[in-house]
Amino acid sequence: MKTQPPRLARKLFKWLAGPAFVDDLLGDMDEWFYKNLETHSPFRARVKYWKQVLSLLFSYAIRKRKRQAQLSPFSQRAFSFAIVKNYFIVASRSLNRHRYFTIVNAAGLAIGMSISLLVITMFAYVCTYDNFHVNKNRIFRVISSHEKGVQKYDMASAPIQLADKLKSNLPGIEQVTRITSNFRGEALINNSNVPVQGFYVDPEFLSIFSFELLEGNAATALQKPKSIILTQSSSKKLFGDEPAFGRIIEIVKKGNFEITGILKDPPRNTHFSFESLVSYSTLPVLQTGDVIQYENPFQYGLEFVYMLVRDKKQTGIIESYLSKLAEESGKISEAKINYTLQALTDINPGRDLSMLTGGLGAGWSYSVFIIFGIIALLILLPACFNYTNISIARALKRAKEIGLRKTMGGTRRQIFFQFIAETTVVTLISLTGALLVFFLIRKEFLSMIAFSETLDLSLTAITTGLFILFAIVTGFIAGFVPAVFFSGLNPVQALKNQSPAKAFSGMWLRKSLTVFQFILSFGFIVALIVFARQYRYSMNYDFGFRQENIFDVNLQGVDPDLFASEYSQFSFVHNISFSSDVLGLHSSFGGTWMQMEGTPDSLQVSEMFCDRQYIETLGLKFLAGSNFPDIPWNHEQSIIVNERFLELFGIPGPADAIGKVVRVDRQDLQITGVLKDFHYSSLRESIKSFAFRTNPSQYRHANLNVSFTDAYAGITQMEKLWKKMGNTTAFKGDFLNEEINMAYKSYTSLVKITGFLGFLAISISLLGMLGMVVYTSETRTKEVGIRKVMGASAAGIAYLLSKDYLKLMAWAFVIAIPLSVIIIDKLLSMTQYYSVTLTVWDILAGMVILVGLGVLTISTQTIKTANINPAETLRSE
Amino acid sequence: MKTYLGELEELVLLTVAALGEEAYGVSIQQDLENRCNRSISIGALHSTITRLEEKGFLKSWLGGATAERGGRSKRFFEITQAGKKAVAEAKTVRDELWSLSKVKLSVR
Repeated sequence: MKTQPPRLARKLFKWLAGPAFVDDLLGDMDEWFYKNLETHSPFRARVKYWKQVLSLLFSYAIRKRKRQAQLSPFSQRAFSFAIVKNYFIVASRSLNRHRYFTIVNAAGLAIGMSISLLVITMFAYVCTYDNFHVNKNRIFRVISSHEKGVQKYDMASAPIQLADKLKSNLPGIEQVTRITSNFRGEALINNSNVPVQGFYVDPEFLSIFSFELLEGNAATALQKPKSIILTQSSSKKLFGDEPAFGRIIEIVKKGNFEITGILKDPPRNTHFSFESLVSYSTLPVLQTGDVIQYENPFQYGLEFVYMLVRDKKQTGIIESYLSKLAEESGKISEAKINYTLQALTDINPGRDLSMLTGGLGAGWSYSVFIIFGIIALLILLPACFNYTNISIARALKRAKEIGLRKTMGGTRRQIFFQFIAETTVVTLISLTGALLVFFLIRKEFLSMIAFSETLDLSLTAITTGLFILFAIVTGFIAGFVPAVFFSGLNPVQALKNQSPAKAFSGMWLRKSLTVFQFILSFGFIVALIVFARQYRYSMNYDFGFRQENIFDVNLQGVDPDLFASEYSQFSFVHNISFSSDVLGLHSSFGGTWMQMEGTPDSLQVSEMFCDRQYIETLGLKFLAGSNFPDIPWNHEQSIIVNERFLELFGIPGPADAIGKVVRVDRQDLQITGVLKDFHYSSLRESIKSFAFRTNPSQYRHANLNVSFTDAYAGITQMEKLWKKMGNTTAFKGDFLNEEINMAYKSYTSLVKITGFLGFLAISISLLGMLGMVVYTSETRTKEVGIRKVMGASAAGIAYLLSKDYLKLMAWAFVIAIPLSVIIIDKLLSMTQYYSVTLTVWDILAGMVILVGLGVLTISTQTIKTANINPAETLRSE
Repeated sequence: MKTYLGELEELVLLTVAALGEEAYGVSIQQDLENRCNRSISIGALHSTITRLEEKGFLKSWLGGATAERGGRSKRFFEITQAGKKAVAEAKTVRDELWSLSKVKLSVR
């Protein structure tokens, strides 16, 4: 055989040349090659050929030809507006022809996309948080972590003592402000109390952040103690339209404050939410002693240190200084403490920090968005699958069209983009539907989440742009598989009407997609059933204390003794007891560090203050010992603990605990009684160590043991007395059991959310199934006709047509049941310590509902098909 | 517009003109080698040709299929009117310089 030019070189050349026309060059090189063969060895000729290829590859000639090829109107890679326009025209024609499928697809995608729209708007809005500060790139705050034993807290807050050290020791810091977020007071305006909330801040607060002062001098407004700056809306709340600037207001128990400034209302998208700013110099006047609070991270949970640095590249110096400080304070408290910097722009959305908000305002961590994103995807993906499913199912019908296109010169690429364009048109149509759903559910959604008042989910130019981008991306995801499938069809087979080669694998894919949707729907149904059951379970749970006929009144600062003497006049009040908190409500109680006599470690114990009457009224059971001693209180001396407390401190039995001494808050308290465990906290938390202490100064709730004949009249009487006592605030009271039930309202919103998501998931999968059934029924009309002529019954045919789907459902159950058992059980025990367990009945009910809905959907089509007169379908042959 | 004409470009243009109907890649390269003692790579030649085409001094067309080149066609080149003008101009400049020369340039 004749020696050939090196094949690899030629291939490489062709490949790298791409669309450029290089035939003439190849010809020239061949000619050279054969010429060289006459005078040189084949090896030399080949080497020369390679040299030529390489010299051409990097030459200007090839580059120029490539560029030209790209611009040529006949090039396959050319991107022209006309062809895109053509894609869309063809797409809309084809969608119009198959209107029924278009509607089913668009409806499914619209439902699927609606949740994603919510998440997109929310994320886009949270990303704008604190963007308005002029210095936003140079503002940082100190965040801390505290690790002692197994307990680790990542805190957004840091001890304010750091502020002074930072300012005086580091020249790289321009300004520092301390923030303590717990200013709570009641302003006395025209003999009525108006609550006011705010922060204690240093004067630098106003220069670091870009909050606009309408009246007052930013430099001096927060200098003097007892100065307060009000926001516009809080000034309106307190004084109406009267000018507030310069006035003196009395804050109950805190004294007279001068209003030294009026602040323009801060925008919603800031992580600070406050009604007023109080000068930090007020704080030492109010509080005595400035204890260094490294011991317990909860003690600085409301303290923040923000700073403005000169150069944001020099934060390394600050961080290393902070870690030095952390080491020092770690030594004092024998814990691993760490201080780091967090940039203002990293706060929202940011990392997970406990006390993320710390009373500052809204906090959105990334994990929130990850969860929302997963939920949105769980709804969106099935809708995309439907599209994929229905499109591939219709392959046979469209195969001819594709075959013809290919024969006429359509390339794979073009057909691919034609299908992507078709899907994009569908998703853009769906976007309008999704927007409708979005507007419908937006309000409900906001009412279900925390910090909703800091969110603005209205449409902006940016979100609209994001929506369209999202629709296009969704189109690409949904259309990708059909596009690849159709563009890969062999035109000869397609035109000969042979079933597409890949039909079998397409079937497999379609089936698994359908099964996945059923699994999802089933999961939602079961979750809904279980959550509803959990709600009822919590409502009827035995907390271990009496709830009925106990009326809880919030004292709001009224003296307990005075309250007791006034309210005991009512005949329906049997006795009155006092406590610092309400049992069974809080998700977490305040913890204190307690130390047992003779043991070295302080351990964390939840605590509550109450009198001896309280323990009797609530019917708590003593295992050993007795109630607090019945003597007038002058100082704290006794403590009552629960069983878990004994476990925590390693006390063997209830009787052994009596008389033991507990050291807490620098006092020695003697254990007088041990109580049987009861649910002091909500059912979400497990029972942990807990202690009752006595101290009238802590009492904030009065618990009235009542027996009403007419509850309404009784409460009205109590309200009247409240006013008569000269109280300016509104009477706040409710039955204990009602209050506890209210606390489980969160379940109703959980049930609502699951119900709604489940509804979406189920409608999507049913829509998908409907599309498939319509398609199969259509294609099998002739078969059905023949079967009928041969004597098949309508019922038999209906069964024949729905058999496949029932099989898929069965498969879905096989996978879904174990999966949902695992996930739902885990979810329940994670969110709720005391919870119901998943039973066989839940699963069965879920199955019945899903099969029922599925059969209903299928039968609308199959029965219709089964009842068609065979003469009509067979006539056309 | 006065377009600068490089030395190699001038040579290629003149070779194309000299080859007449038979000017295509291989023949141009061969001619340059034989007559001008210039052995240049095929890449360099085609880059020069491309630039000449851009300047409008050359035009090209594809010939018919030929058996000895694996059925691939040749690309033939022809000098354009602008090309002719450019070489003529170059020649005029040179002739003028020759005639003005104070030194005897022809060496025997």
